[in-house]
Amino acid sequence: MTATPEPENTESQAYLPDFCATSTVFIVVLAAELVAILLTIASYDTPGRFLIELSKTSLFVLWLALLSSAIMCIFRSKLESAGKTRAFVLGFVVLLALCGVLAEIALQLTRIFGQSVIIEDSHSQFILRTLGISSIVIALMMRYLYVSSEWRRSIVLEAQARISALQALIRPHFLFNSMNTIASLTRTDPRQAEEAVEDLSDLLRANLGGSGDRTSLKAELEVAAIYQRIEKLRLGDRLNVRWNVADLPMRALIPSLTIQPLLENAIYHGIELLPDGGDVTVSGKRDDGYLEISISNPVAPGETRAKGGNKMALANIRQRFELAYGSRATVDVVEGYDEYAVRLRFPHDENRP
Amino acid sequence: MKVLIVDDEKPARDRLRQLIDDFEIHEVVGEAANGEEAVAMASSLNPEVVLLDIRMPGVDGIETAHHLNSMQQPPAVVFTTAYDEYAIDAFDAQAIGYVLKPIRRERLERALEHASRLTGAALKELAAESRLESQRNHVCARVQDELRLIPISDISFFSADQKYVCVHHVSGQDLIDDSLKSLEQEFATTFVRIHRGALVAVDKIEKLEKSTDGRTCVILRGDSRPDNRDAGDELIVSRRHLATVRRRLKGR
Repeated sequence: MTATPEPENTESQAYLPDFCATSTVFIVVLAAELVAILLTIASYDTPGRFLIELSKTSLFVLWLALLSSAIMCIFRSKLESAGKTRAFVLGFVVLLALCGVLAEIALQLTRIFGQSVIIEDSHSQFILRTLGISSIVIALMMRYLYVSSEWRRSIVLEAQARISALQALIRPHFLFNSMNTIASLTRTDPRQAEEAVEDLSDLLRANLGGSGDRTSLKAELEVAAIYQRIEKLRLGDRLNVRWNVADLPMRALIPSLTIQPLLENAIYHGIELLPDGGDVTVSGKRDDGYLEISISNPVAPGETRAKGGNKMALANIRQRFELAYGSRATVDVVEGYDEYAVRLRFPHDENRP
Repeated sequence: MKVLIVDDEKPARDRLRQLIDDFEIHEVVGEAANGEEAVAMASSLNPEVVLLDIRMPGVDGIETAHHLNSMQQPPAVVFTTAYDEYAIDAFDAQAIGYVLKPIRRERLERALEHASRLTGAALKELAAESRLESQRNHVCARVQDELRLIPISDISFFSADQKYVCVHHVSGQDLIDDSLKSLEQEFATTFVRIHRGALVAVDKIEKLEKSTDGRTCVILRGDSRPDNRDAGDELIVSRRHLATVRRRLKGR
């Protein structure tokens, strides 16, 4: 058995704004001016000289800000390809170095052309002050960009999860087969037909509605169990799901719509293609602050899961785990000759409800 | 009309049976849960119509239709499927129609009516035109009066007799109706012609061996048949095909 790493989602999401765009430049100018005003107000002590002080500070700050923008504009694509965290750290270092250099240049210029003393500080004091202020401003800006890009990404992923879960549900084969089953049961077993209609409605509701990305394990397992009941009507003895989940804390939180899509994959790509069916096993355990849930199923020998839908669901789950837990969560795939398993491992805060 | 129902899901079979019983003019002669069963039952029950699910484990509906079409008196095939992504394949398999799930009474009625209007001769003509673009996973053999499917992966070679082609597979030998020429075309990627009357699975060949009289002979992998060495002329590589066989063995 080998663990095969899934290919990363190649869809690149820009997390740095386009610094060449007019709108971004405008915002940079605005922010720089605000910083200049802030600095002037803080150091303003001679009445009547406010505007003069402000224009001096503005000149310097704008110069720094616009040149920083230019640098970011040029190196944006290079920075983005370096990976997210590295891009932000690198950006920070580059911009800070730029500020240092510019401060030095400004100092030398005033030395050469200085009629009146524009910079009152000593050499090192001025450089240090510039670096101090600009590092705080740059760090704040970086943090802002980082958070807002994460936020955008989480919205996109969340929407994707909803859409793909809905698509899977409206995945024609499932919906139409279920309807056909219900049509058949209305005659042979009206009571069961009734239950099937209720289950199907519950499943639709869980997929359509729901607020927030995370849900309790109990609710998530319930959705999976409803799904299993519907499929069981169709597949009969061929489908058997074993739930070894007693060890899991039911109030723990998990990104929603994760277990059900995996169960669906296990049935669609595994059980349905086996003449005699088989057991899907959903098992969970606690492991020192982590929860581990695995869904495994037998597959027809030689059947490969090259299906697009499967990859999409997995990639989506992986991204949402990464988003929710960072590098502390893993989504592993174990692919064997006649078995397939997906294992989710994510942190669980015991102290929180 | 005699109808055979083929679906791997029991509720789906029940539904078809309920509707057909309602019509009162057709008779369900059997229910099969997979492709192999369907082919065997079709040859013993001689249904006029087969209602065939497409997505089934093992031999799927499309391939089953092709095997049914190779029968002496092919039945009319009507596909039942939850989704019409298969419509084009169904057309290739010369099904006379397909009905979408959930099955509607009128649609089924219309399909059966259409089937009943087709004569045996028309069906035979349709079946003869049936083409499978992709390779089959099984070949269909006649054993006594029954049809049996033999997985391609079990076959070591085909040999041509006077009239029939003989399949040599893991559990014995059987006669099939396909011609060696059409088999060679269909399985060009996995089989190689070694002489005028034999087609060998490339991955079943262990090596080539020179016999004492200077002829080259194919030795099959894991072949425990004691008579392999003197299997007659069956596995002798003809001079004309030797270069091709060598190339295929090198290329695998």
